[in-house]
Amino acid sequence: MMSEFLSYGFVQKGLVAGSLVAASCALLGVFLILKRLSLIGDGMSHVCLTGVALALLTSANPVYVSIPVVMVSSLGIMKLMQKIRLNGDAAIGIVSAAGLSVGLVITALAGGFNTDLLSFLFGSILTVSWIEAALCGILLAVILVLLRCFYRDLTSACFDEPFAKTRGISVQTVQTVLVIITSVAVVLAFKVVGIFLISALLIIPPISALLVSRTFKQVLWKSVLFSVVSVWAGVFVSFLLDIPSGAAIILINLLVLVSCFSWMKLGNTHDR
Amino acid sequence: MSVILKAQEVCFGYTRLPVLENVSFEIESGDYIGIIGPNGGGKTTLLKLILGLEKGHGKITWFGAPIAQFKEWHKIGYLAQKSPVSQTRFPVSAEEVVLMGLAEHHGSRVTIQELKQVQEAMQQTNTREYAGRIFQDLSIGQQQRVLLARALVSRPQILILDEPSTALDASSREMFFGLLGTLNKKHGVTILLITHDTGEVGKHISKFMYIDKRLVFFGTKEEFCHSAEVAKQLGVFAQHTIDHLHNHHGHCPLGETCTECHHDE
Repeated sequence: MMSEFLSYGFVQKGLVAGSLVAASCALLGVFLILKRLSLIGDGMSHVCLTGVALALLTSANPVYVSIPVVMVSSLGIMKLMQKIRLNGDAAIGIVSAAGLSVGLVITALAGGFNTDLLSFLFGSILTVSWIEAALCGILLAVILVLLRCFYRDLTSACFDEPFAKTRGISVQTVQTVLVIITSVAVVLAFKVVGIFLISALLIIPPISALLVSRTFKQVLWKSVLFSVVSVWAGVFVSFLLDIPSGAAIILINLLVLVSCFSWMKLGNTHDR
Repeated sequence: MSVILKAQEVCFGYTRLPVLENVSFEIESGDYIGIIGPNGGGKTTLLKLILGLEKGHGKITWFGAPIAQFKEWHKIGYLAQKSPVSQTRFPVSAEEVVLMGLAEHHGSRVTIQELKQVQEAMQQTNTREYAGRIFQDLSIGQQQRVLLARALVSRPQILILDEPSTALDASSREMFFGLLGTLNKKHGVTILLITHDTGEVGKHISKFMYIDKRLVFFGTKEEFCHSAEVAKQLGVFAQHTIDHLHNHHGHCPLGETCTECHHDE
């Protein structure tokens, strides 16, 4: 059955794109959680609705329209945090509400919901194109290069922001770059798991990895491993049981989280 | 002696609420300065301003360069009042934390020279035995010593510390201030330290800075201890500090040079 499942071209495309975007979200999520910006994915996914609605109104590709819209919104969140000194959750809440409202207004003007919009809300990994898969590959490559070149700056800024500043690290730049890349990842991820479940891809695998890692590098590779395995298992389960792939991916992720938590508890008991 | 830090008419405040007003001073190479003053007097704010963590008014110059253009941050070591540990699990080892003090390289590669510096700093602070342990799993006192190693790892010319001994037990405190004294006397490291622990640290301090929303006093320990007029102006807190300096461990930290203690002899 597995070989039959893998023989379909659309499954291959979906798995490649899904793995690439899941790995990207897993890496970004680690830093977002440690910077207490984990809900930014949720906020940006709501803004995605504006991008998708605009694309459906103008008959353009939703991915290309959503990227600039979400990027601008993510910069808006940063500005609210830096200039008005709002906490991350409040800034995300404001931009998220604005994105959702504008999206709904545009959708109403365009004549209401249709099946295209619903597929973006809940994800349809098997409709990913090779160009979108290539974009996911470019995104992961950019993240890996940035990690390689600025690993110490990123960990330092997440661990102790004031100290990082006294080392001459521009924490604001680090944060802005992180948020901009996340906005691209969010847009590419909505095809995989849907707008409603994107934030889960940014939060659950890193949390699972944080529970069972002893070094920071372990956190990064375990987060990627859990995320990619969940995509493969989720797509396979959805094929097997004929259920939505996005929801299946997230449920597998939750299963991994529960397993990691049990493993951690078991480890602590043994340590005693 | 060369001037390391110069502050001119530094002011800071929140809306309609001044925190610091017209603070001016110079810190020379080799100084060991204790910053004292009442809670809410602006001591921590002053440190944040000179480290560029807060933006106020006035002019701050590090090693002759205005703070906005200053790039040689490795010359400055900083240890904050509170450990940065949050509720979120952050699995970095003590060694990785110390490595964060070296910011010349930005990437994941660690050079042999950097590893040597990390080991040296951990040796100085007696933290090598925790090198591989997760920082969050250490006690607060152990964490504080690891953070001191992080402040020392870039071999700074000046160390800035904000009440570093709060979480330390008596023996760790003695070791901690002993190390600061050695760094100052043997290696010429300038030290700027906020402290309420004037008894133990008073043995090593060469100058006092008293901050209470403004610079009330800045001078040598001798001037601080012996000036009855200054003591009157400074009020109860400063008098308590002076008493502490004189009475700690049953002897005056100034020893036989103290005319206050030996004026009857």
